[in-house]
Amino acid sequence: MSLQYLKDAAASGDTEALIRYVRLHLGDGDEAKGRKEIDKAWIEALKPLLDLPPADREFIHETLTMKDLATLAHLFFDLHFYLVKQSGEWIHDGNL
Amino acid sequence: MTGTSSDREQLRPGLWATVNERYPGSMITKPDLVPLARLEKSLAQTRLTFVSTAGVQPKGTLPFDVVHPVGDYSFRRVPSTAEPADLEIHQLKYPTDGANRDLNVIFPIERLRELAAEGVVGGLTPDFFSFIGYNMDPERLERTLAEEIAAAVAADGAEAALLAPA
Repeated sequence: MSLQYLKDAAASGDTEALIRYVRLHLGDGDEAKGRKEIDKAWIEALKPLLDLPPADREFIHETLTMKDLATLAHLFFDLHFYLVKQSGEWIHDGNL
Repeated sequence: MTGTSSDREQLRPGLWATVNERYPGSMITKPDLVPLARLEKSLAQTRLTFVSTAGVQPKGTLPFDVVHPVGDYSFRRVPSTAEPADLEIHQLKYPTDGANRDLNVIFPIERLRELAAEGVVGGLTPDFFSFIGYNMDPERLERTLAEEIAAAVAADGAEAALLAPA
């Protein structure tokens, strides 16, 4: 998908086209894998919080308050890949 | 820079159709053709550079941005004298398993040094050039990354470039 295709989809509210692209990106070109990868990231985000360990909420608050939206969105993608890697089931292992 | 077969022939004419079939909405349309330049002297007298989309970079440099959904439009200089152990790959979109065992399969830095030592090529530029091939904005790719690499390659005194997509 071209960047213009994605911009047109965002402008027209074609969310299906947008999320399909995200799944392809996260699944290395495989939409079904990408869907699973999104689920994996959320599961890995949930697990460390179940015992209510202390978290640096000041850091989180400051980051969300001080940083621009592009940086935060970029961080969201970074966190996705980071959390997926934590799962131990890493599809981006050089064996596409 | 060198030509290969015919200057009037696309090297992979079905490529864009294949990409667009797999990724509806179209990837890139590239109907125009920039002819490759022909060598003006023998390869043995020619200083060669290497340009790769393999995402190879010196250890300790800022990793390529492999998570950005629209791509990374930066490049890294890789000293042509570098040892494979001093380099690493940051790229998710091609199989890196073999390359991590022997970098030369994707980034033949030692093989090129051998060719230069044997006199097959006239020499190597001080640096090679590396970027990642996952870039969704072809216009930006052409106007920034490609232009910047072309300028750097020329400044390095390259007389021919080996281009290797990962």
